[in-house]
Amino acid sequence: MDPAEVEFLAENQMVSIVPNFNFERIYLISGDVGPFRAGLPVQVPIWMATNLRQRQKCRIIAPDWMNTEKLEQVKEEESQSRFFTKMPSEHYMVEGHLLLGAASEDIPHADEIRTILKDIWDMRMSKLRSSVDAFIKIGGTHAKLDHLTAMEINSIRPLLPHALDELYKLQKIVRIISI
Amino acid sequence: MYVEDLKKDFYNVLIGKRILLLVNHDIDAICACKILQCLFRYDSILYTLVPVQGITDLQNVYGENSEEVKYIVLVNCGGTIDIVEALQPKEDVVFFVIDSHKPTDVCNVYNNGQIRLLSKAEDDEGIPEFEEIFQDESEEEDEDGSNAGSGDEDGTEESRQAKRRRLDEEAILRRRERRLWEEKRDRLMFDYTQFNYYGRSSAVIMFELAWKLSKDNMDLLWWAIVGVTEQILLYKVENQQYVLETGNLQGHVARLGYQGEVLDDENSTHHKTALKITYEKDLQLALYRHWTVEASLQHSMYSAVKLKLWTLRGKKKLHELLAEMGLPLVQSRQKFGAMDLVLRQEFQSMIAKLADKYQLHDIVYASFILQYGFRSRYCAADIVYAMLATLESMGRDKSPADCFLEALDCLSRQKKCVLEEGIEKAKRMLTCIFKQVQAALDMHQVISAGPFVYLILQEGTLDAKMFSRPHCITLLAHFALRAYVASSRNRRAPSLPLIASAPHDLDRGTCLVVGIPPTCEDSPKNFFGKAFERAAEKTSARMLPDYLDSSIVQLKTEDRTRFFDALTTLLS
Repeated sequence: MDPAEVEFLAENQMVSIVPNFNFERIYLISGDVGPFRAGLPVQVPIWMATNLRQRQKCRIIAPDWMNTEKLEQVKEEESQSRFFTKMPSEHYMVEGHLLLGAASEDIPHADEIRTILKDIWDMRMSKLRSSVDAFIKIGGTHAKLDHLTAMEINSIRPLLPHALDELYKLQKIVRIISI
Repeated sequence: MYVEDLKKDFYNVLIGKRILLLVNHDIDAICACKILQCLFRYDSILYTLVPVQGITDLQNVYGENSEEVKYIVLVNCGGTIDIVEALQPKEDVVFFVIDSHKPTDVCNVYNNGQIRLLSKAEDDEGIPEFEEIFQDESEEEDEDGSNAGSGDEDGTEESRQAKRRRLDEEAILRRRERRLWEEKRDRLMFDYTQFNYYGRSSAVIMFELAWKLSKDNMDLLWWAIVGVTEQILLYKVENQQYVLETGNLQGHVARLGYQGEVLDDENSTHHKTALKITYEKDLQLALYRHWTVEASLQHSMYSAVKLKLWTLRGKKKLHELLAEMGLPLVQSRQKFGAMDLVLRQEFQSMIAKLADKYQLHDIVYASFILQYGFRSRYCAADIVYAMLATLESMGRDKSPADCFLEALDCLSRQKKCVLEEGIEKAKRMLTCIFKQVQAALDMHQVISAGPFVYLILQEGTLDAKMFSRPHCITLLAHFALRAYVASSRNRRAPSLPLIASAPHDLDRGTCLVVGIPPTCEDSPKNFFGKAFERAAEKTSARMLPDYLDSSIVQLKTEDRTRFFDALTTLLS
C-alpha cells in the first residue's frame, strides 16, 4: 500500500470548521455534509476542510487532541511504557500533517505541535524497529502488537513479510540439506 | 467606461469563465498579476497568463490566443492606446484594463462597454469632455444635403438666389464653427496627451479588490507594498503620492498583523518566526542588509550623488563618514550580516544622526519590512531590485517569458533561492550602473546639446548588453543626470533633461533611447513621448515607439544623429 493511499483513507476523518459562506446540505455517496451557515461550526471530512481553507472560505478548528498539553502527556506515556500506547487518533500523523499544512495560522502553537508529533512518531518507530529486530533474533512464529496506527504498519509492511519469507526459504534449505 | 464597483462588475462577471490575462513586463504589473492569480485560484477560475513587452507583442499575443475567449484582463498595458483599433476584436469580447500608465486614451474612456477601465477617473487627470472631442460627422453632411435639395425645388430665380445666399452664409458659418471646434479639440488633445505619468499602482487596486472580497491576507498585502515601492524607486510617482499610499497600506498592516499575535507570548518560537510586516523608517541604501556597508553606500544612487563617490575626494569623504560612525573599515567591508551585533544595531541610528552633516537629508524614508522565519528579513526595496534584475537578466537561452516567470517566483515565499539569486544579480546590476556613470563622467560623455544633455553608450562598452533593457537604462539615466547636476558648474544644469541611448539589438542595428525630465522638477511628468514622436516625423527616422512607457523608444542607430538634431530644434 502506498503512503498516499493511507493518506486518502485518513482524509475521510471528520474535523470541525467555521465557514464564511452559506450553503445547503450536500449529499455525497459516503454521507451528507452540511448545511453550511456562516459563523457556525460544522463537521466536514478533512479533504473538504483543506480545500475550503485553501480557497479562504472557512476557518479550521483544531481537533481536541491537537494541543500542547495533551500531546505532551501522550509523549510521556509513550516514553515510559514498554509497549505501544493508544494514540489519540487512528491517523494522528496524517491528520497533523494535513491540518498543520493547510491551516497553521488557525491552530495555536503550530510549530510546537509539529515538534511533539514528530517526537512521538520517532519514539514509536524506534520501538517498532527494535521489536521487529528482537522477533527475528528469537525466531518466533507469531507476535502481537497493540495500538499501532495504519501509517506505522504501512511503513513496515513492504519489509517484514518479505524478510520473513526469505528466512523461511533459507531455513527450508537448511532442513533439506541436514536430512 | 469606468467600472466603479470592482466586486460586482468585474470579479463576479469573471467567475466561471475562461480568461486571458495579459501582463506587462514591469514589477507593479507582476505584483498585481500575482494577487489576481491567487484570487483566481481561490475561486477555481481558469486563466491563461501571457506576458507582453510592448504594443506589437500585445497584438501578436492577442492574435494567437484570442479564439473562444470572451474576457480579457490587461494589466499595465493597453490603457494608453486605443485598444479597439489596435487589436480589432470581435463585438462580444470584453476587455478589463487595469493600467497605471496615464494619460488613458480617450477612446478607451468613452467606449461603451467593450472596454472597461478598473479605476476611478481622478480629478487631476483632466480628461476632456465627450462633446468637446467627438462629434457626429454624419449629422453635418445630412444637413448640408437636405438644405441643398430643398433649395433646388423652389420656384423663382430670385428667391432661389436669395435662399442660396442664405444657405451659403449658413454653410460658411457652420464651416467656421467646425474649424474653431476642431482647433479647440486639437489643443485639448495635445494638452491631455502631452505628458506621460503614472497613476495609482495596479497592485494596490487589486489588493483593495481582494479586501472587498474578504480574501486578503498578509501575502497579498506584501505584494501590494512591493508594487507601490517600485513606483517610488523608479521615479514614477512623486514622494507625496508614495507617502499617501503607504499610509493607506499601513492601515491594512495594522489590521492584518494583529490576528496572529493574540495568543502568543513574547518568547515563543512561533512569535519569533511568524510572518510579520512592519512599517519602519528605513535607509535609502540599496540592498544594505545583503551587501557590505561600503558597497551599499557606494552604489546606491542617493548616497553616491550626495557624496560624489565617483571622485577621489568623494571616496575620502565616505571613509570619513564611516570613521565618524565608529564603523571600522574592516567591518564595513564585511557582509552586513557578519558585522558585529552592536554595530549592526546602531547602524541605522548613526547614519540618521550624521545625515545633516554630510547633506544626506533624505536618506531616511518610511518603508515596510517583511520578516518570516529566523533568517529572512527583507525590505520592500530589496525585493524590487531583485525582481528588476531577474526580469532583465535575459540571456541566449532565457526567453523574456522565462524571466517574467522567474520574477513572479521571486515574490513567492517558498522559492527563497530565486530571491537570493535575484539579489546577487541586482548587486551586479547596481555595480555596473555605478561604473558606467563613473566612466561617463570621467570621460565627459554626458554632453550638453543646448536644451538637453545626452549620454550615448557606444557598442563596444563593457556591459553594454546590460543596458539594452528598458529598466536598466532608465536607472542609468536617472543616476547619470543627478551625478552630472552634482558635478557640473553649469548653472542651468538642474533644468536640463537627459536623453540616454544604448545599443539594443546589434543584428538589426537598433538602439534604445530614453528621456527623463530635469531634476529641478519634482513632478515625474515626462514629455518625451510626444517629443520623440514629433522628431521622428520630422526626420522620417525609423523609430518604433513599442514600449508601453512612451518615454522609451527603439531607433535605428544610423538615424540617431539626425533624430537628436531634430529634438534639439524642437525643444529649444
